Amino acid sequence: MSLLTPILIAPLLAGLLCLVVPSRRAMAALGVLAFATTLALGVALLREVLARGVVTEWNGFLSADALSAWMVLLISVVSFASALYAGRYFQRDIDAGVASPARVREFYVLTPLFGAGMFLVVLANNLGVMWAAVEGTALSSVLLVALYNRRNSLEAAWKYVMLGSVGLALALLGTVFVYAAACKNTPDALPSLNWSYLMSVAGGLDPHLLKLAFVFAFVGYGTKAGLAPMHTWLPDAHSEAPSPTSAMLSGVSLKIAFYALLRFHILTTACLDSPFSRRLLLVFGLLSMLLAPPFILVQRNLKRLLAYSSLEHIGLICTAIGLNTPLTILGALMHMGYHALTKPVLFFAAGNIHQAFHSLEFRRIGSGVVKVLPLTALWMGLAALAAIGLPPFGLFLSELTVLSGGLAAHETTVSALILIALVASFCGILQQLTRILLGARRPDARPIETHRLDGAPAMILLLGALLLFSVWLPTPLLDLLRQAAAIIGGQP
Amino acid sequence: MSPSATAAIGSQILTLMAALMLVLQLFIIAQRRLLTNIRLFAIQSLLLAGIAAVVAFHHSASHVYLVAGLTLAGKVVLLPWLLTRLVYRIQIHQEIEPLLNAPSSMLIGGGLTLLGYVVARPFTSMERLGNNTLAIALALVLTGFFLMINRRKALTQVLALLTVENGVMLAAVALTTYGMPLVVELGIFFDVLVAVMVLAILVYRIRENFASMDTSKLNQLKG
Repeated sequence: MSLLTPILIAPLLAGLLCLVVPSRRAMAALGVLAFATTLALGVALLREVLARGVVTEWNGFLSADALSAWMVLLISVVSFASALYAGRYFQRDIDAGVASPARVREFYVLTPLFGAGMFLVVLANNLGVMWAAVEGTALSSVLLVALYNRRNSLEAAWKYVMLGSVGLALALLGTVFVYAAACKNTPDALPSLNWSYLMSVAGGLDPHLLKLAFVFAFVGYGTKAGLAPMHTWLPDAHSEAPSPTSAMLSGVSLKIAFYALLRFHILTTACLDSPFSRRLLLVFGLLSMLLAPPFILVQRNLKRLLAYSSLEHIGLICTAIGLNTPLTILGALMHMGYHALTKPVLFFAAGNIHQAFHSLEFRRIGSGVVKVLPLTALWMGLAALAAIGLPPFGLFLSELTVLSGGLAAHETTVSALILIALVASFCGILQQLTRILLGARRPDARPIETHRLDGAPAMILLLGALLLFSVWLPTPLLDLLRQAAAIIGGQP
Repeated sequence: MSPSATAAIGSQILTLMAALMLVLQLFIIAQRRLLTNIRLFAIQSLLLAGIAAVVAFHHSASHVYLVAGLTLAGKVVLLPWLLTRLVYRIQIHQEIEPLLNAPSSMLIGGGLTLLGYVVARPFTSMERLGNNTLAIALALVLTGFFLMINRRKALTQVLALLTVENGVMLAAVALTTYGMPLVVELGIFFDVLVAVMVLAILVYRIRENFASMDTSKLNQLKG
C-alpha cells in the first residue's frame, strides 16, 4: 500500500475543497479530518520505516527514512491540534468582527496547503524539490501571517517574506553548488540531485564546493529556522499571526527548515569527514540560546515572549546536533517532539487571552488571569512549566539528555553555556508569566467576557500526549528516534 | 565550421550576454523610475532566456529549451506585465530618494562586482561555457541584495529579489552542464511566479493600509 502519496494528497485535497465548501463548520472539520488522516498514515509509516528502513514511491521521487517519518509525525500532531483549535477561535473572531468570513476561508484554504508543503519538504528525495517545498511553505504562511490585515501584521508579513526570500535565494544557491559538485563528479552522465544518489557518491564530491554549499544553505535555511542572528523576523511573525498559525509556525515550521539544514549537514559531514558543518551549528545554536533570555526578560508582549522561547529551543536543538554525540542527537530529536507538543498549547492559551483581553501587552492584560480565565490559565501554566524544563515533563528529560551527552563528550564550556541559557530563560518565563497569570485582578480592571472551555480539547490532547510520552516512550517510537539519530550522526 | 569553433562562438555569445545582464543590473541601481526598472528587469531576463537557449543549442539538450521558454514566458512577459499593472493600480511611479545617491550606489555596485570576481576565482575552472559567468552571477546576487537594502519602496524590493533570482539561475547555468534538473527548474519557476503574486497582494494591502509603500514606515515591531 502506498503511504507517502496519501500523506501529501490528504491536506492538499482538504485545502482545495475548502475553496468551494459553503459552511465554515465543514471547512474546520475538513482541516481536522485531513490532519487526523496524515497522523494515522504517519503511524503506519513509522511501522513501515522500522520494518524496511527506507520507503520510496514514484520511482524514488518521494522517499522517507526514520528522520522523515519522525518529522511527518510532528507535522501531523501540531497541525491536527491547530485545526482542532481553529474552529472556535475564528468563530469568536468573526463574532467580534475582527476577521471577515472571506479571510477565515483564506485561513482554511492556506493552512492545509502549508501543511502539505511541509510534508513535501520531508518526503522529497530531491534537494531541489525540497527547496521548492520550503519556499512553498514560506509563501503559504506569509498570507496567514498577514491574515488580520492590520498595520502590524502587514509589517510582520513583509519582514517575514523579505528575509525569508533572501534566505531561500541563498539556500537555492547552496543547492546549485551541491548540484555543481555532483556534475563535476560525473562529467559524462547527467547526475541527479536525489538525496539517495548524493549520499552514495558523497565521498567523491568536491569538498570546496560542498563547504561553500553548506555555508549558503546554512544562512538560507537558518534564516527560515530562526537561528540568531537571522531570527529578527521570528518574533514579529509569531506574534502577529492568528494563534493557530503561530502554533504551527513555532511548533513545526521552524523545525522543518532546520530539517532541510540537517540534510545539508549530513551530506557535508559525509563528504568532508571534518567537524566543519557541526562547528557552525554549534556556534550559531549557542548564539541563539544565549540571545533569547535577555529578550524574554524585557518582553512586554505575550506572544513575542513565546516566540523568543522558541528561538531558545531551536537554538538548543541546533547546539545538540552540533555537539554530535549519539546522546545529544537523540536528545535533540526528543526535544523537537516535546517542544512540538508544548509550544502550541502556549500559543492557543495566548490566543484565548488575546481574544478575551483584546491585547497581548502585559500592561493591558494586567494580573490575575487565573481569576477570569481559570482553565486557560491552568493550561498555560502547565505548558509553561513544561517549556522551561521542569520534571515530570519531557523537555526536562531531553534537556538533561543533551547536557549529560555534552558533559560525557568533555564539552564542559558548551554544556555550561547551555545550562546558563536554560536557567536564564527559566527565570525569565517564570517571572513574566506568574505576573500575569497569578495574583488578584486590579479593582479598576475592565470586566471581560469569559469563554471557559474554549480551545480545551486541543490543549488537553497535547498536554495529555506530552505527559504520556514524558513518562512512557513506546518502543517503536524510541527505535525510530535511534534510527534517525544514526542517520544524523553518520551511518552506523 | 568545426565543433570547437561553434563552441568558441557559443562561449563568447554567452559571456557577452552575461556581461550585459550585469550592465543592466547597474542601470537598475542608478534608475529611479519604477516602470523603467521593470523594463530593465524584463530585458535582463530576456538575456537569461537567451543564455539558456545557447546552452540548449550547444549541448542539444531539449529540456533546457523548455527552461528558456519558461523564463521567456514568466520573467520576460508575465511578471513585468503583472508588476506594471500593479504600478498603475497603486499610482506610484517614482522611487523616493534612495538611501544612497546614484553615484555612490554605482560605486558600491562596482565594489560588489569585484567581490563577486574574487569569490568566484577558485571555481572558474568548473565553467563549461563562457568566461567568468559565475563571477557575474555572484555579482548579480550581491548587487541585488544591495539594491534591496538601498530602496524603500516595497515594489523595488520585489524587483531586487527577482534580480537576485536571475543571478542564482545564471550560476546554475554557469556551473552545471545543463542547468538544474527539469523538475527542480519547474519548481523554481512556479515558486517565483507565486512569490510575486503573494508579494503583489502584500504590496497592495500595505498601500491600502499605510497610504504608502515606503517600507521604512514599517517600523512598529521592535524588541
